[in-house]
Amino acid sequence: MSDPKTSAYAAAALEVARAEGNLDEVGDELFRLGRVVDASDELRTTLTDPHLPASRRQQIVEDLLDGKASATTIGVVSMIVGAGRATDLSAIAGEYLNRSARNAGQALAEVRSAVALTDEQMARLAEALTARVGQEITIKNVVDPSVVGGIVTQIGDSVIDGSVRTRLNQLRDAF
Amino acid sequence: MNANLLLLASEGINGKWLPADKLEVIWGTAAFLVVAVLLVKFARKPVVEGLAKRSANIAATLGAAEESRVAAESERDRIKAALADSDAEAARIVEGARSTADQLAIDVAARAQVEAASVRERAVADQATTQAQASADLSAELSRLALGAAERVVETSLDDAAQQRLIDSYISQVGSQN
Repeated sequence: MSDPKTSAYAAAALEVARAEGNLDEVGDELFRLGRVVDASDELRTTLTDPHLPASRRQQIVEDLLDGKASATTIGVVSMIVGAGRATDLSAIAGEYLNRSARNAGQALAEVRSAVALTDEQMARLAEALTARVGQEITIKNVVDPSVVGGIVTQIGDSVIDGSVRTRLNQLRDAF
Repeated sequence: MNANLLLLASEGINGKWLPADKLEVIWGTAAFLVVAVLLVKFARKPVVEGLAKRSANIAATLGAAEESRVAAESERDRIKAALADSDAEAARIVEGARSTADQLAIDVAARAQVEAASVRERAVADQATTQAQASADLSAELSRLALGAAERVVETSLDDAAQQRLIDSYISQVGSQN
């Protein structure tokens, strides 16, 4: 359950993207940017530095995303960073995708794997997950080397863990 | 006696103990009697009373002295008794202290023995615990090293083909559990 502010920012971004007619593209870009911010301490520290004026932080984001993301995404991210909530970018992106999937009668599945899934694998996995949960599934694939091998899928609060990392952890706990 | 008579006689002007003038004897005698009567009449009572009072005072003083003596003797006896009692009390206290010291020594020795036994038991238990802990730590460390090595082997052996097999296996497993 996301906090009210995260939900509010996600809802606002969703409305902007819907108005601009690029819901999926903004969702993808927000999701990927959230992962980048989570993975980079330096970027996160810079975007949340209270000593930097909001306009300077927004300028950094715009320079960073210029030519790599849609204008809608840049505008939404600039708003979020300007409000000092860059650390919540990943959570806002997750909530955005969840809302977007719910609005489309779907559920969002966050799939973490050590290597990127092919389109064919994503389609087969979406089909299998849809049959399993009884609801249309939208997959977001996150490449996470800490998984080592296999896949970890999270749909809401449910986790289907088939990662090598978890197997190794279980082996470690068994000793 | 003769000497006295001669003395008396020597005082007379005629050399005799009675004056030659009979009137002088009579008047002298009369004056003496008057003085004697006056003395008996007026001075006898105060003198007797004074003597009686003096006798009473002396008797009272003697009585007070006797009382003081009796009181002093009583105080002396009391002090003697108290001294005798204090000696007994001192002896009793010394005996009590000696008894307490003896008991204390026995108790301390017993407690020291119990404490020593307890310390030995704890030392033995601590040694066993330490050995068990060291054994467990060693086992855990060996496991950690073995698992670390296994993880590195797994990570290096997971080439792209292996990754794809794992992913396909996962998808098949999810699909088969419907």
